[in-house]
Amino acid sequence: MRAPEQSSSAQTIADLRPMLLRIARLQLRNEAWAEDAVSETIVAAMEGMSAFRGRSQLRTWVVGILKHKIIDQIRRHSREVAIEAQQQVDEGEALDELFDASGHRASAPHDWGDPESALARSEFFAVLQACIDELPAPLGRVFLLREWLELDTMQICKELQVTSTNCFVMLYRARMRLRECLEARWFAAQGARRND
Amino acid sequence: MRLKAPGEMIKLRINCREAHELLSRQHDTALHWSERLALHLHLRVCDWCRTVQRNLAFLSRAVRRLDY
Repeated sequence: MRAPEQSSSAQTIADLRPMLLRIARLQLRNEAWAEDAVSETIVAAMEGMSAFRGRSQLRTWVVGILKHKIIDQIRRHSREVAIEAQQQVDEGEALDELFDASGHRASAPHDWGDPESALARSEFFAVLQACIDELPAPLGRVFLLREWLELDTMQICKELQVTSTNCFVMLYRARMRLRECLEARWFAAQGARRND
Repeated sequence: MRLKAPGEMIKLRINCREAHELLSRQHDTALHWSERLALHLHLRVCDWCRTVQRNLAFLSRAVRRLDY
C-alpha cells in the first residue's frame, strides 16, 4: 500500500506552494515568471518524490529545486532581463549623495552595535525583506542571485547578459541601498530605543 | 603616493567612494593585489569604511538566513 503515503507527500509539496511563490516573486519580480517557476518546481518535486529520502528536509529539497527553476526562468527571459539591467546601469544613481565631490563620505555610517542579535528577530527579517522589495527589479534580482542563491558572479553576469563591470555596479548599488535602508529602518530605530 | 609598476600605474591612495566599491566587489570576486593593498591602507585610517565593511559582511550573513 504505497498510494496513501504518496498522496500525503503530494499534499505536503502542494502545501509549500505559497512559500515557494513568495520566494519566486521576490527573486523574479514578475508574476507570470514566478507562477511558472513554482508550477515547474511542484511538478519536478512530485515526479522526483521517489528519489527523495528524509522527510524532515523536504522543504529544503523543494526550495533547492525552485532555485534551479528560477534560474531557468531568467534564462528563458534573458533578453528582457538584460534590457532592464542595462537601463538600470545607464540611469546612474542617487548614491552620489553618499559622497562629497572628493569621494569622501558625506556623513558617518551608524555603528550597528551588536547586529547579530537582530538575526534572532523575525521583525528584522521583515524589514530586510521590505528593503529588498523596494530595490529596482534588476538590482533585487542580481543581489538575490548572488547573496541568497549564492551563484557565482560570472555565472550571474552570463545569465543576465551583462558585462562583469555592470554586474559589479548593480551589486554595489544594491548593497549600498540595503545598507542605508537597514540603517534607517532598523538600526537607527534600535539605537533610539536603547538610548531612551 | 603612487608606485609605478611595469605597464600600469598602481594607485595606492583611494577615497571612501573607491573603498566602498572595493568593499562590495570583494564579496563577488577576487580583488587585484594592488586593490587589496589600497583597500587595506585605506581601512587602517578610516573608521567609517571599516564600519561599512562590517555592515556589508553582516548583510551577507543576514540574507543567507532569509527564511520564507
